[in-house]
Amino acid sequence: MGHIKEPKGVDFIIQSRPLTKAEELAISEHIKNYKLKNNHISNKPKQGVKKRKVQFI
Amino acid sequence: MKKDKKNHLDFIIDKLTNSIENTVSGDSFQTEVSTFTTKDLKQSTKKNGWQFNWKQELINNSREVYKLTIVNNPDIIQGLISFTIKSDHIYMDLIESAPFNLGRNKIYEGVAGNLVAFACKVSFQRGFDGFLSFTAKTKLIEHYEKTLGAYHFGNHLMILETKSSSILVEKYFKNV
Repeated sequence: MGHIKEPKGVDFIIQSRPLTKAEELAISEHIKNYKLKNNHISNKPKQGVKKRKVQFI
Repeated sequence: MKKDKKNHLDFIIDKLTNSIENTVSGDSFQTEVSTFTTKDLKQSTKKNGWQFNWKQELINNSREVYKLTIVNNPDIIQGLISFTIKSDHIYMDLIESAPFNLGRNKIYEGVAGNLVAFACKVSFQRGFDGFLSFTAKTKLIEHYEKTLGAYHFGNHLMILETKSSSILVEKYFKNV
């Protein structure tokens, strides 16, 4: 477990501001792109999956 | 308390643990997160040193509010979180540590990290792949990048993506 020191003179807290419509859309776009990009990467190894050996009984 | 012109979250991730740690003794205490109810309102008032109006959060139907407590000590709230379920991610509206967990003489460390990890977990449970966002003050952006692996989207907006989110969930809820 990493211990992360608290910056001096700064305390916990506060409230976030409401997101603007434009920000919400931008976040959604970012999420879409992230998923596309990462699905693309994670799908790559699957293409190389070895075929099952045929078992002769 | 100083008020920022624009409201941003400025919680400090002081320690990443699956529990919270007593700052004096160093003892760790297992935590649990549960729904914040009207019964809890008495404790978390401004009169008792809390900064935010948690009653307002509770009334707001678009928000979900949760409390962090120590296992076997459910009556003492260590920290609170409220968030909004967006269409594709979770937006953290408020995070606050109990008044006794603030400043140099704080009793426990790790409260904020616990609460953020919980929000990440909810994000996965809701099918959002761990995506989470919040706004941060300028001085804390780098801190969140380092401690949470958050991505600075610009204009104080921070995003926790799947990878960082899963690391946090793994750290905090490994055995859950």
